[in-house]
Amino acid sequence: MTTAGERVTAEIIGGKLLAIADEMGIVLARSSMSPVIYEVLDFACGICDPNGELIAQSNGITLFTGMFSGQVRFIRRKFGAAIYAGDIFITNDPYEGGTHTADVCIVKPVFADGALVAFAVAVAHWSEIGGKVVGSLSPDSVEIYEEGVRLSGLKLYDRSVCNQAVMDILEANIRMPRLSLGDLNAELAAVRIADERLVEMCARYGRTTLAATFRHIVEASEAISRKAVAAMPDGVYRAEDVIDGDGVHDERIPVCVAVTIAGERMRFDFTGCAAQRAAPINCSRWSLVSAVRTVFKAFAGPHQPSNEGWFRPIEVVVPDGTVFSAVKPAAVGWYFESSCHASELAWKALAPLAPERFSAGSYVSLCGTYIAGRRAGTGEPFVHLEPQHGGWGAGRQRDGASALIALTDGDTYNYSSELIEAKVPLRVHSYGLNVADGSGAGRQRGGYGIVRDYEMLADEGIIYASYGRSIEKPWGVAGGRQGTTNYIELTQRGVHRRVTRTPSTPLHRGDRIRIATGGGGGWGSPLERAPEEVVRDVWNGYVTPAQARDDYAVVVGRNLELDANATAALRAAHGR
Amino acid sequence: MGRLATDVGGTFTDLVYFDEASNALRVAKTLTTPADPSRGVIEAIDRAGLVAEAATYFVHGGTTVINAITEHNGVKTALVTTRGFRDVLEIGRGNRPDLYNLLFHTPASFVPRALRFEVGGRIGVDGRELEPLNLDDLDGLAASCQREKVAAIAIQLLHSYAFPAHESAAARYLRDRLPRVTVTASHEISREWREYERATTAVLNAYVQPIVQRYFDNLEARLRATGIRCALFAMQSNGGTTTFDWARTHPITLIESGPAAGVNGAALIGAQCREPNVISLDIGGTTAKCSLIEDGEPKVTTGYSLERTRVNPGYPVKVPVIDIVEIGAGGGSIAWLDEANRLSVGPVSAGADPGPASYGLGGIHPTVTDAMLLAGVLDPDDFAGGQIRLSREQAERAFAPLAERLGADTRAAARAVRRVVEANMINALKLVSVQRGYDPREFVLAAFGGGGPMHAAALGRELGVREVIVPRYPGTFSAWGMLATAPRRDIIRTRFLAQDAIGIADIKALFGEMQAEAEGYFASGEAHRAITFSHALELRYVGQEHVVAFPIDLADATIEAILDAFHRAHERTYTFRLPDQPVEFVHFRLTAEAEVPRPRFERLASAAHAAEPKGRRPVDFIDDGVRETLIYARDALPAGFRTAGPLVIEEASATTVVLPGQALAVDELGFLHITEA
Repeated sequence: MTTAGERVTAEIIGGKLLAIADEMGIVLARSSMSPVIYEVLDFACGICDPNGELIAQSNGITLFTGMFSGQVRFIRRKFGAAIYAGDIFITNDPYEGGTHTADVCIVKPVFADGALVAFAVAVAHWSEIGGKVVGSLSPDSVEIYEEGVRLSGLKLYDRSVCNQAVMDILEANIRMPRLSLGDLNAELAAVRIADERLVEMCARYGRTTLAATFRHIVEASEAISRKAVAAMPDGVYRAEDVIDGDGVHDERIPVCVAVTIAGERMRFDFTGCAAQRAAPINCSRWSLVSAVRTVFKAFAGPHQPSNEGWFRPIEVVVPDGTVFSAVKPAAVGWYFESSCHASELAWKALAPLAPERFSAGSYVSLCGTYIAGRRAGTGEPFVHLEPQHGGWGAGRQRDGASALIALTDGDTYNYSSELIEAKVPLRVHSYGLNVADGSGAGRQRGGYGIVRDYEMLADEGIIYASYGRSIEKPWGVAGGRQGTTNYIELTQRGVHRRVTRTPSTPLHRGDRIRIATGGGGGWGSPLERAPEEVVRDVWNGYVTPAQARDDYAVVVGRNLELDANATAALRAAHGR
Repeated sequence: MGRLATDVGGTFTDLVYFDEASNALRVAKTLTTPADPSRGVIEAIDRAGLVAEAATYFVHGGTTVINAITEHNGVKTALVTTRGFRDVLEIGRGNRPDLYNLLFHTPASFVPRALRFEVGGRIGVDGRELEPLNLDDLDGLAASCQREKVAAIAIQLLHSYAFPAHESAAARYLRDRLPRVTVTASHEISREWREYERATTAVLNAYVQPIVQRYFDNLEARLRATGIRCALFAMQSNGGTTTFDWARTHPITLIESGPAAGVNGAALIGAQCREPNVISLDIGGTTAKCSLIEDGEPKVTTGYSLERTRVNPGYPVKVPVIDIVEIGAGGGSIAWLDEANRLSVGPVSAGADPGPASYGLGGIHPTVTDAMLLAGVLDPDDFAGGQIRLSREQAERAFAPLAERLGADTRAAARAVRRVVEANMINALKLVSVQRGYDPREFVLAAFGGGGPMHAAALGRELGVREVIVPRYPGTFSAWGMLATAPRRDIIRTRFLAQDAIGIADIKALFGEMQAEAEGYFASGEAHRAITFSHALELRYVGQEHVVAFPIDLADATIEAILDAFHRAHERTYTFRLPDQPVEFVHFRLTAEAEVPRPRFERLASAAHAAEPKGRRPVDFIDDGVRETLIYARDALPAGFRTAGPLVIEEASATTVVLPGQALAVDELGFLHITEA
């Protein structure tokens, strides 16, 4: 890549690769049959080089994009030379590069002039893949065998011929085959579009140019990444956290990280974390690596497109058998309830080094919620699966973001209430900010979580969920207060109860389900918050006059005006 | 007999008049008065020396709506929602497209929480009333709106996309109670489901409605006073025109009105030059706008989102809009240094008032126009047809502090400003091309607007386009594009019908109703020669949410042929078809366009002798150094004229630059074609 012409070509090809990844995402979303895919966008797409290195990715689930390489390398290892034009592979094995069984990965090798030039990859969260409960993610399973069909790297198409046996096995073991196989079709469409586009590109630019561009993209990012690490002071940076329960037991599970920076290298060592659990909250080593990559990317170069080069300077160390490196046959259905804590640990450890890029602690947990049952009248089964949005921590210069999706996900939408009411037998009574529970006070305050109120309209059904950060609160920074916690409030026959990690629980017509997510932590002392901002928060109903007085030492008058004298006196009293 | 178009930009107001008898075009350009955009229009009519009574058609467009929104100059707006949902506007969709940015925020909403009110009452998803609309709540919030001096109210109630009864009732009630407040009900603008998207659309409409209403009232009164008697039309973002009355109540449909006209014009340039693939570049005083035309068709999107980028979700606006990327980079863009002495240009513009420093109207900041003057590209004595005399001294004075902080002379500082602003423009051009998978080498660049022809040669070279085309009258080209635009009405009906629940007679009957509605709409305007109708369907497989659109020939249609066309369209779009899956009809789309005579360019005579330059001066070409450069008057260039760069071509509304190493050819329509020699 020396001449200007070559650089321009590389830039154009780089742009085209991103456009292909985006087009894969659009095709997948628009042709799918599940709301969790077309509405929430619970998927990711990308392109890897022939060795499995990530070259370009779509927006989508942040965690998935770190997983492509492991899954493609697994296919390469397993099939060796027996990878042919027209092949399409299917894999969802958490112990071979995957996350959990519900995330089904489709890999298509791309050939030009008889040579392997790339892999197109699509991973999507299927609504159902068999197992112990409808929706496949029982919060209390103890072994992976309870979590549905495991497909450990199979040829779904062998030289363009469909392997019907795989289709038949899927159809026989899935509760809603039309939904899941519809999503399979959408994933196949995504990788086929990528194949078409990449073949066109090889015809236009030649495959050697394409290969050279792949190298250029990765090496350019690697150089930026190394520089970012080298700019940080060498040393060991530690963080600790607690996972609130595993779904089967309510114990608190300690986890920790030691990040070592030495020159251009950064090592994340998770030695010392709790042992794997007989519960689905474990994650495999692959998910751990992806969780760390997410935070490292935020540190090294948040705005540039992601690829393998960014991650060359980092190493992730962990012994087998921890909650972050579970081995067979551990259940891993709720892997994102542990991997999010791995991200948080890396985040907490690096935050002091780059305060301009990190915020205080957030609601963290995706608060995955499943409501399923049969429709009145037709008896047709339905399943509504929903990641919840919540409050993020304050930044050094700005209040935290409200009602935003957790770090594990990314370009992930909330559900339109109009759409929910049209698609599943639920009535939505409200969807708003969780102002009642508040957020971490601070010079900059945390963002607010959400409240969504459902009423069950089907005669009967079930709910299950697994909410983390239900005891341990989101952390504040530099005197900012802690945020608030996540929970579900069930009201059945007039009886209220709060649940967080709950296995399948029966629901009846008229039951109310109130989902509440937490607010983020604050940054800086609340006493340093500008009184005018506190008054504006009171006017807008984010903060009550009592909270203004107690948390911020700001006195608000009857007409919501600032009582400057009383405020000064109160703040002076606090200062003493 | 003639057709008149006016286009109000942030800096200039342009006029084009096409005389239908003689095929002659007349153009004029005046400065925009942001506080009263009608002023520039009337001045332009005066300046063009038109006999107003002769106008048989008047079309008007511009950037008033989008500027009011992006500069947050709308009115104090309230939002009314179903009880339990007032925060939906602030929550948005909660996605983080900027995946690795831990400080990401959803764009702030245009209505603060204190002005978002909830009203009791509920209509279910099937249209049944579950709870009656609570009028007491409306009374209470009306009082609050009065107290807070709210000027506009948007209403968005659940399921109003299909069942607007409560929303209509609430709108009627509030219009009666608060006659001085404008009220927008979301279903009046969009009939698509998803409450957040409909809410933002309604809020943005409400936010600008009082402003646009005043503006159109004022404009209409002043136009009538000049003697114009014909029907008045407004340019819409969808690439068609509509009546003033519609525009007053649906101002959000004008959001990209000026740029859409330019893109229509660029498509016509492509057609004239037999170049179906065109990238359009429109540089004005405040912004640069880019769009891509493939196979002769501007792209109209229903997924428009104001200020959206790959990492910013922006504000969804659920009306059809021509797909445009716009950045704050134009002639008036101000150059500035941050604390670390890093140079930026724009997005703040000196606009028309005070304008660039060299206008001598009180501007003190260095702008792109000033840099071009210092470079010798612009002629101080012959700018904007001699309407403005540029002052080199003022430009030097404005650049001096910048040069000092950069540790350079003013010439070097002017070069740096040009490099930065052109890099910004390149990024915008790449956004519509390279980053969407299009190779610029397969496109021509159509450059217009007052600044387009000045930057196009350099941008085209960097981008690698096949050639740059500069049409005639580039400085008033968007207005010309408006003349080329037909009155258009899109009518959409949504009916969820299984394939065996609908017959071809039902489809024809439905389209018949829609056609009658369109005819009624057009009957109120100008007497048109003919209306053409095109029909399209949007279908999907049962279970899918998204649809596939395809055109149909209604006269010969059968259900079998329609289903077959759907399967084919689905396979073409998504690589697969599901022959055993039942199909569902969703949307029926009718596009009605009234035929209008398209303006034509007169052919230029080819002269026997070559054109003579009108002079020469040194021009700074940055990478190619300062060159003694020939200056031509555009009017003096005959068809068939060819020459080699460097050169500068001057005309009243624009200045075209051809770089060293480039070649110029003038075609028979008088368009300039610039290629690498």
